[in-house]
Amino acid sequence: MHIGPVVRAMNHNRTRVTLIILEIAITLAIVTNCVNVILAERAKMATRSGFEDTGIVRLHTRPFVPEFQDEAFIRTTVDADLQAIEGVPGVEAVANTSFQLWEGGGSSTEIRPAGSSSAPVRTQIYYGSQNITQSLGATVSEGRPFAEGEHGSGSGEESASVVIISRALAEALFPGQPAAGRSIEFVTGTGEATGDPYAIVGVMERFFNPFGMPGADPDPFEERGLFYPQRAGSYAQGLRYLIRVSDPGDMAAIITEIERRIVEVNPGRVVEFEPVSEKKARWFATSSLMVTTMTFIIAMLVIISALGLIGITALSVAERTRQIGTRRALGATRADILRHFLIENAIITAAGLALGIVATYALNVFLVANLVDAKMPPMLILFGIALLLLNAIVATLPPAFRAMGISPAVATKSI
Amino acid sequence: MFLYQIKTALKSLRRNPILTALLIGGIALGICIATTFVTLRHMYMRDALSQKKDQVFYVRLDSWGQDSSLDQFPGGIPNQITYPDARGLMSSPVPVRQTPTYMTKMFVHPDPGVAEPYQAEVRMVFADFFPMFDVPFQYGGGWPDAADERVEPVVVIDYATNLKLFGGENSVGRSLRLRDRDFQVAGVLAPWRPGLRIFDLTRDPTGAPEPIYIPFNHGEAMTLWAAGNNSGWKRQTINSFEDNIQSERIWLQYWVEIPDAESRGAYNDWLRGYIDDQRALGRFERPTRFAVTTIPALIEEFGLVPNGVKAMSLVSLLFLAVCSLNLVGILLGKFLSRIPEVSVRRALGASKAQIFWQHVIECELIGLIGGAAGIILSIGVLSVLGRFMDNGDALGLDGEMLLVAAVLSLLAGLTAGIYPAWRVCRVAPAMQLKIQ
Repeated sequence: MHIGPVVRAMNHNRTRVTLIILEIAITLAIVTNCVNVILAERAKMATRSGFEDTGIVRLHTRPFVPEFQDEAFIRTTVDADLQAIEGVPGVEAVANTSFQLWEGGGSSTEIRPAGSSSAPVRTQIYYGSQNITQSLGATVSEGRPFAEGEHGSGSGEESASVVIISRALAEALFPGQPAAGRSIEFVTGTGEATGDPYAIVGVMERFFNPFGMPGADPDPFEERGLFYPQRAGSYAQGLRYLIRVSDPGDMAAIITEIERRIVEVNPGRVVEFEPVSEKKARWFATSSLMVTTMTFIIAMLVIISALGLIGITALSVAERTRQIGTRRALGATRADILRHFLIENAIITAAGLALGIVATYALNVFLVANLVDAKMPPMLILFGIALLLLNAIVATLPPAFRAMGISPAVATKSI
Repeated sequence: MFLYQIKTALKSLRRNPILTALLIGGIALGICIATTFVTLRHMYMRDALSQKKDQVFYVRLDSWGQDSSLDQFPGGIPNQITYPDARGLMSSPVPVRQTPTYMTKMFVHPDPGVAEPYQAEVRMVFADFFPMFDVPFQYGGGWPDAADERVEPVVVIDYATNLKLFGGENSVGRSLRLRDRDFQVAGVLAPWRPGLRIFDLTRDPTGAPEPIYIPFNHGEAMTLWAAGNNSGWKRQTINSFEDNIQSERIWLQYWVEIPDAESRGAYNDWLRGYIDDQRALGRFERPTRFAVTTIPALIEEFGLVPNGVKAMSLVSLLFLAVCSLNLVGILLGKFLSRIPEVSVRRALGASKAQIFWQHVIECELIGLIGGAAGIILSIGVLSVLGRFMDNGDALGLDGEMLLVAAVLSLLAGLTAGIYPAWRVCRVAPAMQLKIQ
């Protein structure tokens, strides 16, 4: 079969050819970029915090009776609360802490190895009572969790002198060296050390807490986090706990029992529970919305462009009925006609895909520069090409077969 | 002539109802998707005081320490101001309205028969806050300026709080106990849910406005600590509220309304003078820097429209483009099959321009009918989407978006039809007659 007649025929129908090429190109660009964004968002949603998110529930008690304005009263209440919650069957561990998972925000500070003059490292910082690492289900890979008696109580003489830090922070402070057993100091804005040094007793393997608002990435702290042992709470901010249960399925029953015992300790407060899984879902609300809608758009787009291709190919066959009949009358076989259309479509599709690859990268470069952080992996383009090839075959085979069936007698009839 | 062309176009559309339905469906789908996501994006800007966008400004001052990093703040300038500066800025005579503001949490003690005590977010504001942000009232209004000076116990509550505590009646003049003090209701807000809680950008900006508002000056009197974002650079021991309001910590937002450009220049000069005065007192270690920013610029600077939403609106417009492109092929076929008819009309005296415009009008009719269907569809899609979003209540079509949808429909019709219309109007009359 000669390419010549096919190309000449295409040249005769430049508009139609251009239309199909453009359509394939734009469809490829949109489909691949949508899938890319979907994959990137899904990867973000799969981010592991390093904690057992599904088994943790957050408890916030907000006092409204004036006794809570007294710091000593708060201290005893926290101890009584911890004891009451620990006693509930199904509770693995509980801690009184300022740390709130999947919420954004928090406190940050600058620290450096004690006695050194190296550049300070900025880290998130939270207080937590003795069982903080256990209540998070965090892996302490070096050193140990906090021990009995290490937790202080807010201001003054009882405050602690040990910390647990994350692996990422340990690496930033002591690259390539063990961190447990070393000391750190807090640094002021002017670069001076303040207070006594703190000893690092443990290093937790992972620590992920989104510090910014949802969508405000990248996270400025890159898993750098620090806990110091302390009970705290206040009349204004309330007392906050993280509770890990052994079986997330029992969460509802456990929450009811905890609420009963907490109110028994002191009824002068409002009690709120929020499973961390719910907070996480809320954190990713925009992402999951995006994934759903983009999936919908892709599906619609593939259907529409298939319909469009079918329509335009059918039209081109109908337009050329007489020519095909003439060629058949002049001796072309049915196979020749089929081959003509298949080659024509192969050339058009190839041109469309080639332009599409350029368009895909152009759109991706624009998206990465302005909107989403998701570079286009080459595998994804291959997937898009395969999808559109399939689309092109499905759309062009029926009209091509119809063309094959045109009888030579058509040529002799007038319109 | 125009009416005649519309009549001809309608006739042509009726001739092949299936094809017409396909064309209209294509446009409708494209318009539905495009309108939905453009509206989603628009929601973040909507109600952000669009009619006052160059009159209301957010004020920021670079009160940071000489060597302390400012990297954490959008635009590299502290995102809030200190309490001493809030007091200092209030002394400026330039703005027609101004208020420092922050969010605190207080216990509300309703009548025991009505509800249990609960903790609520309370926004501390001066009376200027309400007119400045066009806050809508159902009953009463903001408090008089005198109530600010005399630190009167007056309160403005939102629609939901009024429903909960007073059964939705006109509760102006009734009493409400906040912590340990009775406040008198001065106004009840109408339902109010802007897409962005623009006046406090340091918290989740898509949250609802606070349910309760009391005069700012109660902050000192009742020692009401800010419950929002709070940053600092100086190591200062803060053991009391007194320490807190004298410290260099930033935890207040500051807003001014200045209607004319001249006064804006004057306000900038005033700020420079203020910073110089403070520097003389040992504050403001760094070179004079401040920002007086409009709301649209602020939305951009703080990156408040999620990038995902921007990306989706871009993709949806491209989707509409593919829909139109698809229609080009179909319309081309439809119009070209009509060549014999057109050539007869040309032979009978119709000009090229008349033929061209008649076909363009036919396409625009398709665009408009499809657009109308698409808008109806997108109202449905938006209400479904709204249920999945925190700030979904604010999601919906407004006049501006309807206009955008109409323009997009016309554009889509034009994109699809202009080339086929041009092709068909070039038909030479004689040639076609001869073949026939």
